[in-house]
Amino acid sequence: MPEQTALLSWIIRKAIRYLISGFIVLVIVFLVPRLMPGDPVRNLVGEDVWLSPATLQALRSEMGLDLPLNEQFIHYLLDLFSLNLGYSYHLNGPVLNILLGRIPWTLLLIGTSILAGACFGVIAGALTGWNPERWWARTLTGSSLLISSIPPYILGLAFLACFSFYLHLFPIKGLYDTPDIFSIIYHLTLPVLVLTLFYASRNLLIMRGSVISERGLLYPQCARALGIPRQIILKRHVAKNALLPVLTLIALDFGFLFSGALFIEIVFSLQGMGSLIYDAILLRDIPVLTGSFLVISVFVILANLSVDLISVLIDPRVRMGRE
Amino acid sequence: MVKLSRLSMVVFTLLFLFIAVTVNCSAAEDKVLKIATVNDIKSPSLLGDYNTIIFSQISNPTLFQMNSNGKIIGQVVDSFEVSPDNTVWTFNIRPELYWSDRKPVTGEDIAYSINMYGKYGKSGRWLGEAITDTKVDGNKVILTLNKPYTNLDREFATMYGIVPKHVWEKIDNPVNFTSEGPYVGCGPFYMDKIDLTAGKIIFKKNPYWKGDAPYYDQVDISWFKNKDAASEALESGAMDTYYEYSSSYPYAAIDSLMSTGNFELLEKPTSGMTFLGFNMNKTPVSDINIRKAIASAINYPELVDISILGHGSVPNEGFVPTIMDGYVKTPQLKYSVDDAKKILADAGYKDSDNNGIVEGDDGKDIVLNFLSRSSFSREAELIQEYLKAAGLGSEIRSVEDNTWYELKDNYDYDITLDRTTPAGMIMHASLGTCYFDSRRTGGGVLHNVDDPVFLNLCDEILATRDQSKLTTYAQELQNYYAENLPGIALYWKNDVTPYNKAIKGWYSNPIYGILNQYTFTGVKPVV
Repeated sequence: MPEQTALLSWIIRKAIRYLISGFIVLVIVFLVPRLMPGDPVRNLVGEDVWLSPATLQALRSEMGLDLPLNEQFIHYLLDLFSLNLGYSYHLNGPVLNILLGRIPWTLLLIGTSILAGACFGVIAGALTGWNPERWWARTLTGSSLLISSIPPYILGLAFLACFSFYLHLFPIKGLYDTPDIFSIIYHLTLPVLVLTLFYASRNLLIMRGSVISERGLLYPQCARALGIPRQIILKRHVAKNALLPVLTLIALDFGFLFSGALFIEIVFSLQGMGSLIYDAILLRDIPVLTGSFLVISVFVILANLSVDLISVLIDPRVRMGRE
Repeated sequence: MVKLSRLSMVVFTLLFLFIAVTVNCSAAEDKVLKIATVNDIKSPSLLGDYNTIIFSQISNPTLFQMNSNGKIIGQVVDSFEVSPDNTVWTFNIRPELYWSDRKPVTGEDIAYSINMYGKYGKSGRWLGEAITDTKVDGNKVILTLNKPYTNLDREFATMYGIVPKHVWEKIDNPVNFTSEGPYVGCGPFYMDKIDLTAGKIIFKKNPYWKGDAPYYDQVDISWFKNKDAASEALESGAMDTYYEYSSSYPYAAIDSLMSTGNFELLEKPTSGMTFLGFNMNKTPVSDINIRKAIASAINYPELVDISILGHGSVPNEGFVPTIMDGYVKTPQLKYSVDDAKKILADAGYKDSDNNGIVEGDDGKDIVLNFLSRSSFSREAELIQEYLKAAGLGSEIRSVEDNTWYELKDNYDYDITLDRTTPAGMIMHASLGTCYFDSRRTGGGVLHNVDDPVFLNLCDEILATRDQSKLTTYAQELQNYYAENLPGIALYWKNDVTPYNKAIKGWYSNPIYGILNQYTFTGVKPVV
């Protein structure tokens, strides 16, 4: 009972902390785009188009930019309660609809890569950490080091050049040619592969290091002395304990999932959240920036909360308040 | 276990091959022209998205267009008249134009379109202020304006594509309307679909087009988020040509493309260029001698070699390039460090402490506040070296565009790098005046000249359509540029458009390049 009460109390304290963080985030995502230099109204038209002062004022008024900041903030909060993230005059649509149009593709691209990278990285990392002296473990480790040292966009460019341009195995751009499942899979294979390699190599190295640390502790040796097979020790004992640092990283990856993968989107010409945010920054599209930052912040907060909860649930040392 | 994993691998490989074959075996019975671009579409809005408006040239044409020599000619308009006081414009619409839904294009469509832009448009609001009356008489549209306008034909050549009244009058705010298509058009093609996810616009042949019949049934414009991928697409044969508004195919990628043996180049001079602008009211660049010294210090031949890889020429002092209607020859800008030093010395600027930099009136080294747009970083570094060789110091601030707009509008610079676009060069009083007239602020313009001589010249040009007067004013304007140097062109460049050499009939105009009706009705395979 006392443990359950302590757990409940812990959850409530964390929730309050995250709620406060959430409010601070709200203020920051509201203010930052508005404090950036540049005029969002000017960016509505090409730079070779002249707008009269009267037109500029009229457009500013339509966009609500002529109101004092505190009034804009109140409108912003009230709109949030009705799930209204505002209207983008640059993209001609409600921000929520714009985000909902991009998020599934980002989820598909990055979510798939994170999951695949997590599975492969954890399993391969555990095996290489458990058998570090084997030739295949050394090869995998060396390859992972190499891949994780290469920026993803360079990896992406190399893959694009090799597999799309020279070998004509994959298309050069886009999320699909025709909106059917086969075309989507075909178009996403290469970018997902690049991102998976990136995540997998990083996860492998961390998992490997974690397993090597656990391997050196007493309990695996004790288990070995009891005659338990090595693979069972790894699967049932060492891997679980070694998983914590990687799990934290993967949860944070999911948190930042909706920020997209800008460089990969640029290399493969994909319409995702990364390029949406990047374009919004260049255009000073305040509603899109505010909405995007808010979505990302909410998911990062949820991810952090999930990591905290997972740590408490799976690691009794955290539950008992010890390291 | 091993057999199962091997079986899984085989199944996966077969599935993948099936997918790869399936997606490549699409029945390609339609003749499709494929264009690569980096001008991406951000929202599926025919009237609200900047690049969609540019591409809609072939489906929703403007009243006028520019021919390959830079002259304004009719497009939807067959002929037009202007009242002697330039306040009444009468447009006679071509009778053979039909919308893709079979209805004829009428004066009502033109009147609706223009007034719609005046009411809802972002860049067209001035039309709403200027037009006091609109009359339609069959295929004749008569606009009465609140004051003399001499260049409506030019304005209607750069934007304001025509839309069908019977479709758009039902829509509340047309400029904010979004739809993936199809959009009814009256050009040789109509916009069938804007697919943001696939990254392309699909145009299909207008079945009711009465002009020269296009060979192609479909035009696909695919946008890429980086020029390397676009170049690779071209080289691999996936695309037939490349288009980028107000820009060339990447010069550095030309050799690689030509080595494939499948392409030829359409190379045309353009009025889009990079130039060095001055803060004319700030010491020391307010001194004409400083500007002349800078003009002599710049190594133009090197810039032509490095920035545009030889695809262009050293510019003249008169700023306006040869392709523009109204161009007059002025002396070519000359690179001479010795001349630059002599100008400074003769003007009284000395390097008292022998550190290589001359001092200003305050006795301190002249270090110019050099504001550069980040896209011109390389040119900025080169110019800094040139200035230093001539005895002028500078400190570069390379910023992204929005920050540049703000700093430039606040005149927080001594010298700055900017660019012109072909459309911008013909705006206001044409011949680049919109970039310098201090009464026109914002965007990419410098508004750095408030000299009454220049402003009066702009007003004179705007007040007349008399060709002989306009010729005289054009001469005066370019002489003004040469004598006062409010801006120095770094080079005059050519825009290079590569095209599949199995296709002929390409036509380019100075504003929109190959994006014009002549191209899309004229291109066909070489027999």
